[in-house]
Amino acid sequence: MNQFRNLIEALDTAPPDRPFVTAWIDEDERETVTFAEFRRRARFQASVLRNNNVTAGDLVVLIMPQGIPSMTVFAGAMMLGAVPAFLAYPNFKVEPSKYRSGLAGVTANLNAKLVVIDEGFPNELLSYVSLDDQTTVLHASDGKVAAEEIEIPTLEHLPGALAFIQHSAGTTGLQKGVALTHGAVLRQLEHLAQALKIDPHTDRIYNWLPLYHDMGLIACFMLPMVCHLTVVMQSPLDWVMHPETMLQIISEYRCTLAWMPNFAFQFVPRRTPRSRWAQYDLSSVRALINCSEPVRASSVHEFQSAFASIGLKADAMQSSYAMAENVFAVTQSDISQPLGPACIWADAQQFRTKHLIVPVVEGATGSLSFKSSGQLLPDNEVRIVSDSGELLEDAHVGEILIKSDSLFEGYYNRPDLTANALIDGWFHTGDLGFYFENELFVVGRKKDLLIVGGENLYPQDIEEIVASHAAIHDGRVVALGVYNPDLGTDDIVVVAEVEQTGLLTSPAEIERELRNLVVAGLGVAVRTIFLKPPKWIVKSTAGKASRSATREKMLHEHPELNLESEESQFT
Amino acid sequence: MTPEAQQMIEQIVRLIRKPNLELDENTPLVSSGLIDSMALVDLLQKLEDLTHTRIPPGKVQPKDLDTVALMFATAQRVGKPRK
Repeated sequence: MNQFRNLIEALDTAPPDRPFVTAWIDEDERETVTFAEFRRRARFQASVLRNNNVTAGDLVVLIMPQGIPSMTVFAGAMMLGAVPAFLAYPNFKVEPSKYRSGLAGVTANLNAKLVVIDEGFPNELLSYVSLDDQTTVLHASDGKVAAEEIEIPTLEHLPGALAFIQHSAGTTGLQKGVALTHGAVLRQLEHLAQALKIDPHTDRIYNWLPLYHDMGLIACFMLPMVCHLTVVMQSPLDWVMHPETMLQIISEYRCTLAWMPNFAFQFVPRRTPRSRWAQYDLSSVRALINCSEPVRASSVHEFQSAFASIGLKADAMQSSYAMAENVFAVTQSDISQPLGPACIWADAQQFRTKHLIVPVVEGATGSLSFKSSGQLLPDNEVRIVSDSGELLEDAHVGEILIKSDSLFEGYYNRPDLTANALIDGWFHTGDLGFYFENELFVVGRKKDLLIVGGENLYPQDIEEIVASHAAIHDGRVVALGVYNPDLGTDDIVVVAEVEQTGLLTSPAEIERELRNLVVAGLGVAVRTIFLKPPKWIVKSTAGKASRSATREKMLHEHPELNLESEESQFT
Repeated sequence: MTPEAQQMIEQIVRLIRKPNLELDENTPLVSSGLIDSMALVDLLQKLEDLTHTRIPPGKVQPKDLDTVALMFATAQRVGKPRK
């Protein structure tokens, strides 16, 4: 990929007749475009943008449903040397007020020349798009209509030129725009293609991830565009409504690569009726990469053991540590390892009190397991540092800092945020992890950590134990740290949904059992347990319990807790 | 009221856990804060079952699901017959 000066050159050299994107809507509706047809439509979109006075360096915001039209507008903007950015499209499951405030914040910061929407974009939301005198709104067409070939001059951009802006995780106004150059993206893709041993003749990507997120945009749009692979994709909404369609699409198109966040490894098997598993075939998958959340061994195991009988290979279960600020991946597990990413067992007490990894035998009493996120990609470096910024050795848990040849140069229009995150060329990720035998292990977010009597506790560990109780609905548990000013430390508060409302008539027995389980598993006492009816816990995208939104709801219903903000405690 | 609309109302009452709540086909649900938009994934799946259709979720906005009557109108407008 080093031969390309920019991403459009890479698109231009793709074999014309090879399928590039298949957009899968449902059994009866799908569309495939070849690289030649994609380029033709992208040139048409570029000409429309050009007619709207877009020139090199202009920022173009895209708020369109996920699909071939939005991808061709994105590529068309890059053909002009303009800088596109995908934003989340409004949908029925995003709270309208939250969406509106997020939209207003993000578009104000981007200060775009042009905002491209589709004809279905709700008019009432347009007033929340920040539009000044310089910004125009354009309704995009699907680009299929262009009769003749449209000439767009070859993009002469050098690697140092800005390619696009991608946003760091989240859908709210807190999203941060990460500006990336063509060179940074190409270098990242080079490393990734090498680590994954990409073969354009045999590999095919399956994707349901949103393209406004790095996992979707880089791994499932830029990677196939630059390496000339086919990607079969559906919208995140179609996936969340019918997660089973993932199995259907992989089976039908014989996809070989896919990326998903950790929760999806539980969501898909749990939401697909067991009676239908046998209709599918996952034997084509050579890497299913767990990425963007801490990797939980139990989630990976659940997916693999559910679908082993339909051909899913154990060595297909892979992991990666990635973030928008590094374009995408920092690490990737070694796909040639027959056993998949390393899993180590460590003494839980040493981990919590000394923040140290002391290996023990598998499954030993009082031990914890950690799944590796893999090895560093070439030209990527990691440092683990303590709270005071001191460099830690291997096997010590601390904040992960990264440096690489694809690292961003700053948040778009936000020097204040950049100054906090990027210090002496090292990006402070806010993630906690450790380095062990050449592999990186990510254990959680710094701000989610509970500090109880000097011990570090990870809410996920408490939640997993509580959810193992038969009366508690799996995946519907949130553990929170509530600062206790008298003790100067966190108290643990657990909110858990029972399987059925009837169980709430005698909560004392269940609470006692839960306390015992947590003490036995982690050696710490829970201060308060709130048992709640089904559906009480606030869910985020695709049904995952949302820690921050549940915290807000708790504060509202139980003001006696006097919850303080997590941020003020730890940062 | 159709039996399907009645079943949908029963589903909503179960979902929001307020057994004494009076709901009819025209009670605002999302805009009144009775249900949050995350619960709409479950309701949309229920609507697909009741109407034997497949509803493209990308063509649905919260306001299209604000009442039971609107839900069924939306299913009629954008739903595809299920195989």
